[in-house]
Amino acid sequence: MSAAHLSPASGVGVDRQRSRRRRSLRLTLEGWAFVGPATVLVLGLSIFPAIWSFFLSLQRWDGFSEPQNIGVGNYAYALKDADLAAAVTHTVLYTALFVPASILLGLLLAVALNRRIRFIGLYRTAIFVPFVASAAATGILTTYLFSPQFGLLNNILRRIGLPQQGWLEDPRQAMVVIAIMSLWGSAAFTTVIFLAALQDIPGELVEAARIDGATARQAFWHVTVPQLAPVAVFATIWQVIQALQLFDLVYTTTRGGPLNATQTVVYYLWNAAFRQTEFGYGSAVAWTLFLVTMLITVGVVLYSRRARIEAF
Amino acid sequence: MPRIPIHRRSTARVAAAVTTVGALVAALTGCSGGGGSTTLDTKADVTLTWWTGQADEAEKILEGLAGEYEKLHPNVKIDVSSGAPSTEDLLQKLSASFAGGNYPDVSYAFGSWASQLEASNRTLDITKQVADPDVDWKGFSGAARQTARPTGKKTIGFPAVVDNISLLYNTKLFDAAGIPYPTDRWTWDDFRAAAKKLTNESTDTYGYAYSVSGSEETTWQFWPHLWQNGGEVLSSDGKKAAFDSTAGVDALTLLRDMAIDDKSVYLDQTDTKFGQLFAGGHIGMITSGPWQLYDLKTAKTDYGVTVLPGTDGNHETVSGPDLWTLFDHKDANRAHWAYEFTKWLTDPAQDERWNVEYGNLPLRESETSSAAFQAQVKALPGLDVMAANSANAKHARPTVPAYNKLSEAIGDQISAVLQGQGTPESGLKAAAAKADAALEGNGP
Repeated sequence: MSAAHLSPASGVGVDRQRSRRRRSLRLTLEGWAFVGPATVLVLGLSIFPAIWSFFLSLQRWDGFSEPQNIGVGNYAYALKDADLAAAVTHTVLYTALFVPASILLGLLLAVALNRRIRFIGLYRTAIFVPFVASAAATGILTTYLFSPQFGLLNNILRRIGLPQQGWLEDPRQAMVVIAIMSLWGSAAFTTVIFLAALQDIPGELVEAARIDGATARQAFWHVTVPQLAPVAVFATIWQVIQALQLFDLVYTTTRGGPLNATQTVVYYLWNAAFRQTEFGYGSAVAWTLFLVTMLITVGVVLYSRRARIEAF
Repeated sequence: MPRIPIHRRSTARVAAAVTTVGALVAALTGCSGGGGSTTLDTKADVTLTWWTGQADEAEKILEGLAGEYEKLHPNVKIDVSSGAPSTEDLLQKLSASFAGGNYPDVSYAFGSWASQLEASNRTLDITKQVADPDVDWKGFSGAARQTARPTGKKTIGFPAVVDNISLLYNTKLFDAAGIPYPTDRWTWDDFRAAAKKLTNESTDTYGYAYSVSGSEETTWQFWPHLWQNGGEVLSSDGKKAAFDSTAGVDALTLLRDMAIDDKSVYLDQTDTKFGQLFAGGHIGMITSGPWQLYDLKTAKTDYGVTVLPGTDGNHETVSGPDLWTLFDHKDANRAHWAYEFTKWLTDPAQDERWNVEYGNLPLRESETSSAAFQAQVKALPGLDVMAANSANAKHARPTVPAYNKLSEAIGDQISAVLQGQGTPESGLKAAAAKADAALEGNGP
């Protein structure tokens, strides 16, 4: 613990040393008393089940019969599971749609909000509200918007004489609609991060560039944007992790349909574990996803260090 | 320099959730198994835990009955609760409770879970007790009895709720289209022709509706078609899928032709919307069960009910019996009272006040002559037709442990074919291959 740091520097007398030791012990105990409950919670509710799920992933267990040890059998099956491969494709598609869009939209909104105009507090709040809304609420709201028969969007299309769309009920459009939905819900996150970063950039830099003859656009691209790079790397990694774990929106809207077109990796493993009661296989898929996410993160961190983008 | 706290929303979170519940239950309760009484003492105090799997009104009725039983038998206390937020979640809850050794004495269970529950070796076997003529075990439908005895070796509980699917039609839409109402002599050709006539794109009206969510709703609606054509779900030894047959192809081709060629079928991506659309007068006919009638009454829909259309005079339907499963706690007293209570609950006198009162079908056909049921038929017209239609449930839905996976395999393929992907032949073939792997115990 950091208790040692907290103990004040003192003289060399034996008594004082003893009292210092006692004091440091007290501080240590005090420290543990503060972090203890949280540590127990984290260990009990997060670390311990995670470790247990690893052992589960080496078994074939339906939750009722005796578990069977099958070594890496579940992992081997995952590698040749065509349905899982499809789920991976859907997740990658979603990530490719969602992450760049959320970064660009966040940057755009942040620049738009980073100025002194009237009611700026109101605008910032309006952007942030969807982020606070739960995914369940977002999901339910958007199923109403996108309902092919009774939804607002198809009504508008009908009014202006454009063809009706299937939206969430069309296998080709469903994933795009889900990406739009989550973009609406989480653009605020990247916006706030970019906004904070923008406000950290000293005004003199842009001013100096402008005095040197740069146009507003040049100043933005060559002065402001490079300053934002570390934050952009951080936001990208964060959004990728979020995207790879997409579950809640799918669960509240399409439940993996139509024709499994929106079945993501996490939805697939949830279905395997809880619908088909293959707890071992579900755990194996979860661990594989965890390792892949870890590799991607470490990879990006190493790359950004080498490229001297100091995001971490 | 901030570091991303990777573990915070760790990817293993869902997997963690898989085990959290079990871990907590195990940690908090310890193992409560064993330590029970080995000799029966019917006077001893006993506390039973009962998970009903019901909500709202149904839960209230059952709680009332439990209270009544406690009054009749003062030494028996019944801890009654829904058990889980939804009936579907009960399976997960049961699994976690087994891990923690703190499972109920009596629990509601979907029929499709029966063999899995039996495989846990934690169910009671009441085969001998129910042979008592006093129980009137034979009074239950064949499908229900078979589900309570999933592998034929043990009787793991009593039927809890029985149902079947019948043909419901919107009389207003039929009148508007000038078509005579469906009868109990209809063939699927009559059905198809009527559906086509009822369909009207300009008013968003469809002749029929079919769920393409790929869930059990998609699958079980297909079984009557298969059986009527002479097909079977499984081979006679139960080890191979048998639906990939001429009968299967004929059955799926009819649905495909209606959905793709006639465009007379509303393809529902959820399992619930078509019921609402039928109640709202946008769908001419649906095939559904007693649970639909209450909504139709609320929506004041003009409807009629008859048996499913037939193939060569065979009007077979499918039935989905659910169970009160009894669990073994190695305690003679608990086992005794769990059995006695469930027997009492499923007795016609009590069934009248639960299943019949709530608008479900009565558990035994003999109850259909009761005053209570006749009163319910007045309130929910067509309920009598559905009760009589139980006789058309000749096949029991398979209860093999791999049924969930078989159901998903064929459900996915039916959905694909009805939405124009693949042919009935290729779809059933792919589904059968997947189901075979699951039945053999290969795969995950």
